[in-house]
Amino acid sequence: MTVVGADLKRKRELLERRRASLYVLAVGLFALLWMLPVVWTVVTSFRPETALQRNLASLIPYPFTTENWSFILKSSQLWKWLGNSVFVSTTHTLAQLTVCALAAYAFARLDFYFKRPLYILVLTGLMVPFEATFLPVYLLFSNLKLHNTLIALILPGIASSFAVFLLTQFFRGIPLELEEAAMMDGAGRFRIFLIIIIPLSTPVITALAIFTFLGNWNSYLWPIISATSSDVYTIVIGLRKLNQAWGDVNFYGRDMAAAIFTALPIIIFFFVFQRRIISGIAINSGIK
Amino acid sequence: MMSFSVERMVDSLFGLFEVFNPIVEPYRRFHEKLPPKIQQTITAFLFILPFGILYAIFTVLPIFQTFYISLHKWEIMGTNIRYIGLKNFERLLTRDTQFHQAFEQTILFVALTIPIIFVGLFFALMLNRPIKGIGIFRTIFYLPNIIAVTVIGLIWSRVFASSGRGLINAFLEQFNAGPIPFLDQGDLATLVVSFTTLWWTVGFSMLIFLAGLQDISQALYDAAKVDGANRWQQFRHITIPGLRRPFAFLCILQVIASFQIFGQVDVMTGGGPAGNTRTIVYNIFETSFLYFQVGYGTAMAVIMFAVLLAISLFQLALFRDQGIGS
Repeated sequence: MTVVGADLKRKRELLERRRASLYVLAVGLFALLWMLPVVWTVVTSFRPETALQRNLASLIPYPFTTENWSFILKSSQLWKWLGNSVFVSTTHTLAQLTVCALAAYAFARLDFYFKRPLYILVLTGLMVPFEATFLPVYLLFSNLKLHNTLIALILPGIASSFAVFLLTQFFRGIPLELEEAAMMDGAGRFRIFLIIIIPLSTPVITALAIFTFLGNWNSYLWPIISATSSDVYTIVIGLRKLNQAWGDVNFYGRDMAAAIFTALPIIIFFFVFQRRIISGIAINSGIK
Repeated sequence: MMSFSVERMVDSLFGLFEVFNPIVEPYRRFHEKLPPKIQQTITAFLFILPFGILYAIFTVLPIFQTFYISLHKWEIMGTNIRYIGLKNFERLLTRDTQFHQAFEQTILFVALTIPIIFVGLFFALMLNRPIKGIGIFRTIFYLPNIIAVTVIGLIWSRVFASSGRGLINAFLEQFNAGPIPFLDQGDLATLVVSFTTLWWTVGFSMLIFLAGLQDISQALYDAAKVDGANRWQQFRHITIPGLRRPFAFLCILQVIASFQIFGQVDVMTGGGPAGNTRTIVYNIFETSFLYFQVGYGTAMAVIMFAVLLAISLFQLALFRDQGIGS
């Protein structure tokens, strides 16, 4: 290649790089605009109420105050609700994985009477929306006087058809030879399940766990009807009730701080599991 | 290493259960004499048992109960329960204008949220480029999707609040314009709730489309370039057909999700103004927990279930015909 040719190539590369950075800048500006309400929410939570009365539409946190935040962080209620959410979602997720993985193992690996009809019965659950079952479940918990307990928030949804389906599919793909070898060594089915199937399924189990956790954490319809006393609110419901109690006018900054307080744990959770969440979407949607 | 420690843990766990050996051992000898399929049936049922109990209590029985309760006048305190046959359905289908309005409103939400898929496609195309640093935007656009509806609803109802206590109206006030009654006017409120839903969930469609785009083989584009196809032709004849599967998947999912809209409405408008944003689920919620008419509420749930079931079955048929989905 001649010197002129090399020069031209470098020029073209430079041009391309400049175009790429311009593109990223344009997308960045759009993203900023898209997220403007979030920026505004954060800024508002650091502005004193008097300034907010004067002018709401400002992105400059001056005068600056941490009063809203110290109020929120000192609120024992919010911490309690956060604790409730962590406990409920963790327990729910662990229970769902245990119960559904056990059932999935049977469907994936054992040859038994009524297998097909039972599996079809389980899959039928994929088509049952929560609205079709939640009123009788509500009445059941009323009769058992279990409303306003954390148990009531944990139990519904543990037996998930989707989880059984997903795990069964995955377990079927694990080579049989591994199991046969263990069986030769005298391992029983439950032992095989624990020492072979579960360790080999960590990717799918993690993906499922993350989305079960998120789903339960964010659930709204069930906790808002079951949990009516402030002791058992999840953080999601608690924020709603605070918002109702404080009204639209009086504690604007505090409300915004409470909203961020509610969102923050899940945002942290998201950044910890980001890769798995992004790749898990395809798994969990059953599209891959 | 990993399996070694797992094995050790399992061993110690099993060690705990050795106290039951006097009972278990005689049974094991009996079990081993059974035909293999019966052996496996017993084992399988034990594996399924915990799931089966919970599934029966929280899914199977409630479906039948829903149908049963819907045939009654049934008040939530359980004091006034009376069999009335199909009267609930008769009233719902012929006379209950509020339910009709809620049904129409739900259909409207379904229609207004379908564009989410196209915006998701637009975002996916925007971000599907091999440029360094573009990955961060995927995260940004997806992030709202994992946040609870109360937070999303709170933020956007503050943005759109009708008086000067809302961001947009406070901004307009500075120029002596507005206020625009975003949440006080039925059609506007519907649009606001739909837009909030878009902002909240578009990241999901985007990610599904991004995964779909990555599945389209680069060789197809290379071949098209050799044949002199321009970018639009490539998009039209390679990208669009290649995204058929995710598109069908998202359509069905979007319709089902929008049919169940509840949280956004409850947080942002409370069904108002004047019942203008009341959806089916919101109507069920109100009927059952505000007016305590569970019988009537379940009848609505039955109708909704029937509609969703029809959509699901349609989806199954579609996927089977076209070989899309799994």
